Amino acid sequence: MSRRSRAAVARSAGGDRTLTTVLGLVLVAAAVLALLVGAGVFGSFRAQRPLIDPIAVQWATDHNDATRWIALGIGLVLFVVGLWWTLRSLRPEPRPDVSLSEVPGERLTVEHAAICDAVRHDAETIEGVSRARVRLVGTPMRPALRISLSMVEGSDVRDVWAELDGRVLARAREAFSVSALPTAVRLELDASSAPTPARVE
Amino acid sequence: MRLLLRVLAPLLGLVLTVVGLAIVVETVTLWVAPASSPLVVPWPAWQAAAEGLTWQSGAVRGTAIVVGVVGLFVLVLGLVARRHDVYLADPVPEVTVTTSPRSLARAVGHEVRSHSDVVSASVVASAKKITVKASTLDPAEAVRDDVRARVDEMLARLPLARRPRVSVSVTTTQGVK
Repeated sequence: MSRRSRAAVARSAGGDRTLTTVLGLVLVAAAVLALLVGAGVFGSFRAQRPLIDPIAVQWATDHNDATRWIALGIGLVLFVVGLWWTLRSLRPEPRPDVSLSEVPGERLTVEHAAICDAVRHDAETIEGVSRARVRLVGTPMRPALRISLSMVEGSDVRDVWAELDGRVLARAREAFSVSALPTAVRLELDASSAPTPARVE
Repeated sequence: MRLLLRVLAPLLGLVLTVVGLAIVVETVTLWVAPASSPLVVPWPAWQAAAEGLTWQSGAVRGTAIVVGVVGLFVLVLGLVARRHDVYLADPVPEVTVTTSPRSLARAVGHEVRSHSDVVSASVVASAKKITVKASTLDPAEAVRDDVRARVDEMLARLPLARRPRVSVSVTTTQGVK
């Protein structure tokens, strides 16, 4: 298992999870702090002070410009972070075309759909596989394959692997002229009780 | 949970964007054209409503509790939305093989139900543990050993990266044989 093949297993939700966790922590911390102040943990005098504190209001009036710049800064940071987060999590996972050569005058790119169709056709001829779905993930320079195989009930996983690596992936590696192609395989065990009939093209 | 995160993450981002934009717009309005302030958000009204509230007020505490509960939900969502893939041993270094807990449970379920003495069975699987509950018309003891042997044999054929613990419970049900 290499880092790249492992990363190809599924789209990462790491960014979303980190941001969600941080937001949750901030909200919880603010709420706990407000409740503690109200409960008089920081002194019973502070608990009785008004929410809109006269000292803070006085400071804001005295330093009018500074207050406005601070508010602008907070607003801008929230706006930029929120917009970046929204766009980032709405962006679909890229389907890279693979560039085989970047030499000027000899640039050669293979389209995503062409590769995936070829690998899918190959994979569906494996004994014990009823259906295959293939896509490329990563960048054009560092692509990785994601294959999901539906297996017929009772088929041996090791036989399927042997054929997948020995024939299907070997051909893909040969086509890309690379020695190693990071691949994530997702198996659906016992997905159907009988092989599906050959696809009619 | 992952689906919920997928839906909620862009929405939370959007909320942050809107709040940030509102702060910027209101601040700039107050600065440049104080006469037309407030532009969109009625913040002077909110300020008037908060006037006279202390940190001990019920409204402040209630709001803090609501914010805390929402924050806790968001926090837990971020923490638990991880993947539950079951990893298989790698056939070659550059290949990672996984399967879903559901598909593993389905495979084990087929194996258990193929036993002629098992009337019905339910299986829950994860990468660490497989729980089989089966019912039979025969004495439970013998069937349990048979079922366990079958599941073990099946797992031996399946090259999982780590062998999950297997717990089998068999109950005898009444019925016509």
